[in-house]
Amino acid sequence: MANITKKVSWSSRPDETGATGETTPLLNGSEQPRHSRQVELMSGEGAIFHIGRHGAGDLEEEMTTEEVKSEGRPKEIPHNEKLLSLKFESLDYDNIENQLFLDEERRMSYMGFRCLEISRWVICALIGFLTGLIACFIDIVVEQVAKVKYNVIKENIETFTEAGGLSISLILWAVLNCSFVIVGAILVAFFEPIAAGSGIPQIKCYLNGVKIPRVVRLKTLVVKVCGVICSVVGGLAVGKEGPMIHSGGVVAAGVSQGRSTSLKRDFKIFEYFRRDTEKRDFVSAGAAAGVSAAFGAPVGGVLFSLEEGASFWNQMLTWRIFFASMISTFTLNFVLSVYHKKPGELSNPGLINFGRFESDVGDFFTSIFHSSTVLQAELLLCLMSAVLFCRYVHRPCLQVMEATLVAAVTAAVSFTMIYFSNDCQPLAPDNTEVYQLQLFCADGEYNSMATAFFNTPEKSVTSLFHDQPGTYNPLTLGLFTLTYFFLACWTYGLAVSAGVFIPSLLIGAAWGRLCGILLFWCSTWADPGKYALIGAAAQLGGIVRMTLSLTVILVEATGNVTYGLPIMLVLMTSKIVGDYFQEGLYDIHIKLQSVPFLHWEAPATSHWLTAREVMSSPVTCLNKIEKVGTIVDILSNTSTNHNGFPVVVQVMEGDVVILCGLILRSQLIVLLKHKVFVELARSRLTQRKLLLKDFRDAYPRFPPIQSIHVSQDERECMMDLTEFMNPTPYTVPQETSLPRVFKLFRALGLRHLVVVDDENRVVGLVSRKDLARYHLGKHGLEELHLAQT
Amino acid sequence: MSSLFSTSLMSSFPEDLEISGYCKELLFFFKQRYVTFVDCLILAARPVKVCQNCSSSYSRLQDIYRNISDQVGPGNESCRDSLLSSDRLMVVYQLYSNLQDLWTSSNCEKCINNRSHSLTNDTLNFLSTLNQTLTCFEKYQLGNHTELCKSCKKMYGDVNKLYGRMEKNDTMCIDLEDAMNMTRRLWSKNFNCSLPRDETVPVLAVSSFMLFLPVIFYLSSFLHSEQKKRKLIHPNRARSYTRLMNIQDKQS
Repeated sequence: MANITKKVSWSSRPDETGATGETTPLLNGSEQPRHSRQVELMSGEGAIFHIGRHGAGDLEEEMTTEEVKSEGRPKEIPHNEKLLSLKFESLDYDNIENQLFLDEERRMSYMGFRCLEISRWVICALIGFLTGLIACFIDIVVEQVAKVKYNVIKENIETFTEAGGLSISLILWAVLNCSFVIVGAILVAFFEPIAAGSGIPQIKCYLNGVKIPRVVRLKTLVVKVCGVICSVVGGLAVGKEGPMIHSGGVVAAGVSQGRSTSLKRDFKIFEYFRRDTEKRDFVSAGAAAGVSAAFGAPVGGVLFSLEEGASFWNQMLTWRIFFASMISTFTLNFVLSVYHKKPGELSNPGLINFGRFESDVGDFFTSIFHSSTVLQAELLLCLMSAVLFCRYVHRPCLQVMEATLVAAVTAAVSFTMIYFSNDCQPLAPDNTEVYQLQLFCADGEYNSMATAFFNTPEKSVTSLFHDQPGTYNPLTLGLFTLTYFFLACWTYGLAVSAGVFIPSLLIGAAWGRLCGILLFWCSTWADPGKYALIGAAAQLGGIVRMTLSLTVILVEATGNVTYGLPIMLVLMTSKIVGDYFQEGLYDIHIKLQSVPFLHWEAPATSHWLTAREVMSSPVTCLNKIEKVGTIVDILSNTSTNHNGFPVVVQVMEGDVVILCGLILRSQLIVLLKHKVFVELARSRLTQRKLLLKDFRDAYPRFPPIQSIHVSQDERECMMDLTEFMNPTPYTVPQETSLPRVFKLFRALGLRHLVVVDDENRVVGLVSRKDLARYHLGKHGLEELHLAQT
Repeated sequence: MSSLFSTSLMSSFPEDLEISGYCKELLFFFKQRYVTFVDCLILAARPVKVCQNCSSSYSRLQDIYRNISDQVGPGNESCRDSLLSSDRLMVVYQLYSNLQDLWTSSNCEKCINNRSHSLTNDTLNFLSTLNQTLTCFEKYQLGNHTELCKSCKKMYGDVNKLYGRMEKNDTMCIDLEDAMNMTRRLWSKNFNCSLPRDETVPVLAVSSFMLFLPVIFYLSSFLHSEQKKRKLIHPNRARSYTRLMNIQDKQS
């Protein structure tokens, strides 16, 4: 089917251009020579018969008739990680310095700029504040609901231990878990699938410059927050820290725009910030605020958004981001201290508290030696998650069922482990925060397997870090690590919103503590709590493969700067060992979603590739004064979903067409909507001049071209793009190497890069997908395929 | 030389300039009561009966210390400075504060009436219930332990419940905790009356049923659904066909 429609569209082209020629001979004159030139250019590769405009550009490339013939039907292949999807678009980070922009800048007073700067700071404060409040909300609700749930189960177990019928308690536990998880999974699967998982890969892509559909919407935030609460209370092997980063990003995107398109409310504030550049900067502040609320690590948050997000170092932005994250952690700290009825104590800087460690670092250096053993586990986890990712479960109701089953199995496994555990430990005084189960232990003792399983993961982590040596016996820890490891792997791919930070910390801590205890037997100086910390760091580092930011986050979370060096060394080793086997979890995730992600640097061995080979060609160009009908046809052509169009102008004798600007689809759509036609302007002198504000009002959801009605008469009108196009787009000569182009893209946040020849004629267009498709595989440089998803 | 000097210094000044007679008297009383209290403490250390036996001597010690620190003697004389804080060592203060810490951590305050220095009704009630249980233990001690478990179960359960209630009310002191701990240990370790793990089969059955569900689920969804296929798109390039070959050529 596909090739037939394509042929039709192609065959219709010549007539159209013919018609254009008849009605507007002047323009036709400018076009005709270009065709001949392009045929000339192409003839080297085997006489491709191009007529009319030639499609190419940013997103979707169209097939030439020859290609369709030779390939037959488009090839279909199963989904794999070596694809780039067409559905993702770039953000327009580059500022469009058109006439309107210059006018506005001229009109704006010095005070106006000061006010803008101040409102940026105000927005950052708001972002921090709201992110902190969201974190508080999640924390308090989880704590309260979990308290009710665990107390009900505990009482039930106590009754049935005596009276018999523990299988009923097991069923009760499973049913409670399932009912919470069902709610969470339904929310995610049916209402907002993008809210699944931690959202860190999505935010990472967004900060990288890829527009992920619906990722920063209010609805996503609501679903995310409720989903996290449900899945944590539902007892899954997940944490609530990762989603905070996504939540922070959504808050930032919402606050900075001063309106909500979902609620259809416009507060008429911060209108200046309604464009991709500003929004992305604020989202990076939001992500930082999220990290800082999750771990109580403001500096770590800033470094996170620099390491994972911002492609360049803007000092002023960094300072503002830091402000947002400080506000966020302080808000959380303050509200939680009021909630715990100790106002002013400020002892809860983050959602997870590692507690205080003594600054006795002696142990650490010895513990690093064994950390290589810790790495084994983390490798396995990566492999496992990669395997489990390719699931066969696509339909929402099946996803809900799957999540429910995982919840039930988690309960069953935990219960069985607790039931058969013989590890009893004496009750510690005033340990009221942890739910303890006695079960078959002697009176006055509790089951130590239950401290690990019968608690929210955060509490288990803290008790692994801080409980006295001898609280856990090695068998318990070993079994716990193993089971929890498989549960966490299985849970990761589910359609529930939840993070992977806490499970990996927990696995690492258990494993590290186990190593510590084993060493404790040989010698008496090892503190198992510190081994747990090292293990947790290694495990987390192996899974997420963050470097600088993770070190700082962990140092800040432990509240002890002297631990910096040991943690850093551990993270370095785990990254080196991990990279040898597999990429980080987030990178795998991004690859599986076929996102055109630009990494820190271009592939190492790509200098021989030049822009000529990378670019898409030929390019759909527009004339400076273009016919409306042509523009509408180009925009509504579904097979060429281009977003950027070089604007050309004819010079001299009419056979040289040179580049004079670049215009975006969104701009064209706004122009069409407001009917900015030359003829209309002439007839209606009173017509208001289009301002930059009109473009901002349409942002970010520009209407599709189909919804804009253009009458037959209007199709004959002309549109003058001079004022609206970006008159100085970035261009490169054809011989530029791939790494150079790559650097331009990353550092400037480009979306389109025009490739020109010596005479400034448009030869091709480089977009994000053209660059992202090269990557270094096992056999050198490989090229990813573009696919429709 | 220096020692000679110091002795001469002591002799040259009257002793009562250093410390008055009244204060000396107070110090003496303090010593007496301190010794009594410590005596009592040590004797009541195991099994812990600190609150039951020593509360009165503690209150007397408290009184004398209060005299030293707060009260003013005849002639508006206070011994606070001369006895408590005139030197670096501060022997009296340190000794007293050590015992005070010990007393605070024992939580004895919660079992003792503030006025009469006698045990509270709750405490007495608990102790008598506990004693009944212990008598029951004694009665059946020699015979079969299963019999003991059966016949003392109700009493033991009552004690446990009472203990739990008092723990919740926060009216618990070290004496009761220790006594209860001992009883529990007797019950679970010596007489082996802990609950048996006799429901292995149903628990295993239920959990293996739950473990089995996902297997069915994944199998069925594996059989009934197929993986999504992706349509490949062929982008327009200036030299689209020679490119991949180029890569391989240049690599080699």
